[in-house]
Amino acid sequence: MAEAESLAVTRRWLPEALMTLAVWGSALLVAGIFLWLLGDLLWRGAGHLSWSFLFSSPLNAGRAGGIAPILVSTLLILGVAVAAAVPLGLATAVLLAEFLSSHSRFGRLVGLSLDVLAGVPSIVFGLFGNAFFSIFLGLGFSILSGGLTLACMVLPILVRTAEAALRAVPDDWRLAGAALGLSRTAALRHILLPAASSGLVAGLLLGVGRAMAETAALIFTSGYVDRMPSSLFDSGRALSVHIYDLSMNVAGGDGNAYASALVLIGLLILINGTSLWLAEHWLNRRILTP
Amino acid sequence: MRLKALTTTLCGILILMLLTASVALAVEQKLVLTGSSTLAPLATEIGKRFERQNPGVRVDVQSGGSSRGITDARSGLADIGLVSRALKEEEKDLKSFTVARDGIGMIVHKSNPVRELSDRQIIDIYTGKITNWRAVGGPDQPITVVNKAEGRSTLELFLHHFRLKNSDIKAQVVIGENQQGIKTVAGNRNAIGYVSIGTAEYEASQGVPIKLLPMAGVAASVENVRNGSFPLARPLNLVTKAEPQGLARRFIDFSRSESVHDLVEAQYFVPLAR
Repeated sequence: MAEAESLAVTRRWLPEALMTLAVWGSALLVAGIFLWLLGDLLWRGAGHLSWSFLFSSPLNAGRAGGIAPILVSTLLILGVAVAAAVPLGLATAVLLAEFLSSHSRFGRLVGLSLDVLAGVPSIVFGLFGNAFFSIFLGLGFSILSGGLTLACMVLPILVRTAEAALRAVPDDWRLAGAALGLSRTAALRHILLPAASSGLVAGLLLGVGRAMAETAALIFTSGYVDRMPSSLFDSGRALSVHIYDLSMNVAGGDGNAYASALVLIGLLILINGTSLWLAEHWLNRRILTP
Repeated sequence: MRLKALTTTLCGILILMLLTASVALAVEQKLVLTGSSTLAPLATEIGKRFERQNPGVRVDVQSGGSSRGITDARSGLADIGLVSRALKEEEKDLKSFTVARDGIGMIVHKSNPVRELSDRQIIDIYTGKITNWRAVGGPDQPITVVNKAEGRSTLELFLHHFRLKNSDIKAQVVIGENQQGIKTVAGNRNAIGYVSIGTAEYEASQGVPIKLLPMAGVAASVENVRNGSFPLARPLNLVTKAEPQGLARRFIDFSRSESVHDLVEAQYFVPLAR
């Protein structure tokens, strides 16, 4: 009797323990991979990192010198992409979530095209950007072409996450807004967008992350020139392109490639942190404190 | 209120961007070079020196492969194309100017005991007739064949030298840039690949575990590329659609002059004979 009882206890206890182990193990593995990557970058790149690395121009094909012009180009490309993609993406998401019913044929068509776009490999965006922005619109190899190409690339992510964030706002809020006589625009500005802010920012971060990591789409649009850009019509090399070139094309460029990768990750963490902080302290508060 | 501030800021940024954009139209003289990724770093360095000596001139270099250099020079998208091989028969409508030479050598992992491969053996390895190192005097291990991607001039040179077609080649790994080839072989004890000799020599001297194999009995060294005895070498060319004039002419003359020899050597290529 006692034996059977203890067997039953084990039977109940064992799957529970295995489950706990699997969940914790997976989480540790994911964190471990990130830490390993970061550790590897720090170990090989930190020695090359200094203020002068951030504030000087590359020399000898990037083996020596710094990344100042590349950093500026990267931020400009990112700025163009965000400036073009956020208004477009937000407006589309508002249309999909607030103006159309989820059964509308047009809404589904837009959704489908977005999902197809999201699955397109980045090199295809690069070739499209080269053909459309660089050649057809005559923008040439420029920060503008690169930024606009990236905007096309991150639009699907942006729209889909923003749409989901807006849909997650309870309908009661919309009804309450309508009952108070708020117009649609007012409800959107004062209630829905602030309420959805953390989702919107998460979408923006996903987009920015994808844009920062992009190499293939940029090598044919914003280009390879590592001079300090003097306008958006100049060609400018993005950090990811620089890292790719140093590690794959320039013998003896590995040290600076690691250091540049470290800067890229630092930049990403900085942008993520700032946006999350903004969402928390700025947009969310609008709702909670009248 | 705050949203309004945000919108105003965004509009301000956009206007600022457009303003800076209009300034760009005042560029003086610009030379656009596109093509071979092998040549792009060298062309960038030559361009920087050229810019310093000729104030008001800008040299923009774009990478992408030799085929692109040919296409862009033909279409006029680039003033000068970068092509890291000799022009083919059907490309003879373009004018080419050699600025440096580069040798292509076979590399294997440093731990590989094989000291030499005949041309026949290299062909058999790349066409899949030999798939184990044992057949050429190595350990009993499968061979990992590393080949270059379509459109790379190293590939075309390799195929031309061994009279092969790319469709005959049975490769396990297909790579793009030169350094990728070195890293692939350094990370795989059973791999064989072909890369630029200058960079391979440099990487080997830095402790990267790769080994250059002699070809047809001639050691794969920069010295043997310089004296012309190494069989698999290529010219690095600047190409133009028509006989170059003005700024393009000056840039090409400058790239072929002795004043850039140090830059050529810094990129591990062989300068033209003095």
